[in-house]
Amino acid sequence: MSSATATAPRRRRLTLSRRRQLAGAVFALPAIGLVLGFIVVPIGQAVYYSMTQWDGVSSTWIGPSTWNQALHNPTLWTALRNNALLLLSVPFALGLPLAIAVLLHQRVAGWRIFRSIYFLPTAISWVVLGLVAQRFFAYQGTLNSIIHFFGFSHTNTNMLGYESTALSALGITFIFTMVGTNTMLFLTGLATLDPSLEEAARIDGAGRWRIFRYITLPHLSRFIQLAFVMTVIALFSALFSLIFVMTGGGPGYATTTMEFLIYQTGFNQGDFGTAALYGLILFILTAIVGVVQLRLIGADE
Amino acid sequence: MTTPLLERPPGREGPATAPRPGRRRVRTGRAALFVIMLGVAVVMLYPFWVMIFDSLKTEAQFLAGKGFSLGSWKALNSVIPVGQQVLSSTIICCASIIVIVLIGLPAGFAFSKLRFRTSTLIFLVIVSAMMVPLQAILMPEFVNITKLGLTSGYFGAVIVYAALGTPFSVFLFTTYFRGVPDELIEAGIVDGLGYFGVLWRLVVPIAVPAIATVTVLQFIQIWDDLLVGLLFIQNTSQRPITVGLAVLSAGRTTSIPELMAGSFISALPAMLVYLGFQRYLVKGLTMGIDR
Repeated sequence: MSSATATAPRRRRLTLSRRRQLAGAVFALPAIGLVLGFIVVPIGQAVYYSMTQWDGVSSTWIGPSTWNQALHNPTLWTALRNNALLLLSVPFALGLPLAIAVLLHQRVAGWRIFRSIYFLPTAISWVVLGLVAQRFFAYQGTLNSIIHFFGFSHTNTNMLGYESTALSALGITFIFTMVGTNTMLFLTGLATLDPSLEEAARIDGAGRWRIFRYITLPHLSRFIQLAFVMTVIALFSALFSLIFVMTGGGPGYATTTMEFLIYQTGFNQGDFGTAALYGLILFILTAIVGVVQLRLIGADE
Repeated sequence: MTTPLLERPPGREGPATAPRPGRRRVRTGRAALFVIMLGVAVVMLYPFWVMIFDSLKTEAQFLAGKGFSLGSWKALNSVIPVGQQVLSSTIICCASIIVIVLIGLPAGFAFSKLRFRTSTLIFLVIVSAMMVPLQAILMPEFVNITKLGLTSGYFGAVIVYAALGTPFSVFLFTTYFRGVPDELIEAGIVDGLGYFGVLWRLVVPIAVPAIATVTVLQFIQIWDDLLVGLLFIQNTSQRPITVGLAVLSAGRTTSIPELMAGSFISALPAMLVYLGFQRYLVKGLTMGIDR
């Protein structure tokens, strides 16, 4: 920046560039502050708190041995197992919307209205959808009415009431809640598909299945990847509302997932330290999925 | 899906002459398709049937399984302060979205057009924060907000929503502004607008679609959320509607018809926003892969 030797235009450009950088830093500062203060720093705090005996007011340093103790808690493994079992719903949460999107893409009469109807539940809170699901699975609910309608008048289910079936009911509800969003993603993907490609394949004598398998599906791969990541993230971090209103994590711990365990440990049992540790475990799990997501987004940048 | 469905000439049903077998197959296929889609529609509308029909009963009628009445709708406000809770939801939503846009837009402009040293790294950190679920940092967040004394009133919830929504909004605005030519900004600077002037006079007006996308996505997300409202708003009279419903449903003596009436009211605003701005939603969801 020695102004004595620099020519006038270059000096001007330098200051311009510096001023632009300064303006950029100033404009970005609030966002940086907010994200640092309320997302990044708490991650660090969680590491510290996880090694303390802590009830939210006073904390006593204990050290990494708290990890050992917490990792031997069977409830943690129940929650992790529940999360793993719920992953089994992901293929349905992707497959059904894919089928629906392909159907919509045929542009049958009234498809625009159907599209709006299919997307509509996406707008509703999962609190409300959980309440509705509770009505569906209840002893005097819709599911039993359907079963009776088909002639099994002495069969009565109460899926949310039993440890063996409650998680399945939660999984089914989760699939329903994801249908709208994923259908929307796939339909957007299908809209970017050049119809002349399919036409050409048809003229060449390819059947519908072959066209779907070798033209439509590869074209949708990025959309399917995105939907997969979004669905898994939702599975790990958005079930709270459903669980809160449908089962409260029960019966027993049958529907307690990691995120719900964090809430229970922290706010029902007042054990903030262990809850912070469980939070870190959830963070690591989602970070793994997040890396996949970033690679997806970053692929063309 | 078993028959080709695209050959039908638009707006013309079967010809006067006897239809060829192929044509007939096409028409049966389309009819079957329509029936399937109708079936899917019934399933997707199920929550609305439940909310409407279960709410149009009294407690006794609900338990008996027959009869209709407007009783639960009339009694609704005495069971759940719906009006107040909808107002709370609206305040929290609007305040959070304003913060998210006011903070995310300039940052997106900076990360795309006014890049400074380490801006790429910082951008990556912010985008990564998109992946951090609130539950993962719930305990420290709760303690921090409590210590700052923000759990009385709406501020705590608004700050948490703003922090959670900002990474996405920064990402969206950055991606959006990358498509804006550098010449526009340079022209503004040469005209002596200054960087703030360029931001306000040139960048904000062209950012309207991106602002709409952020607003719609965040509105639905925040309006529908439970956890933040449940923990970060201590005053029960300032509860948003989702918290009101969830807490009511957790109680032992809950009247289902009133709960369903409240649910229906809570679902209405998000549905209207949704139907009105569907295309912005789609744009936001596929941001990053569909350009």
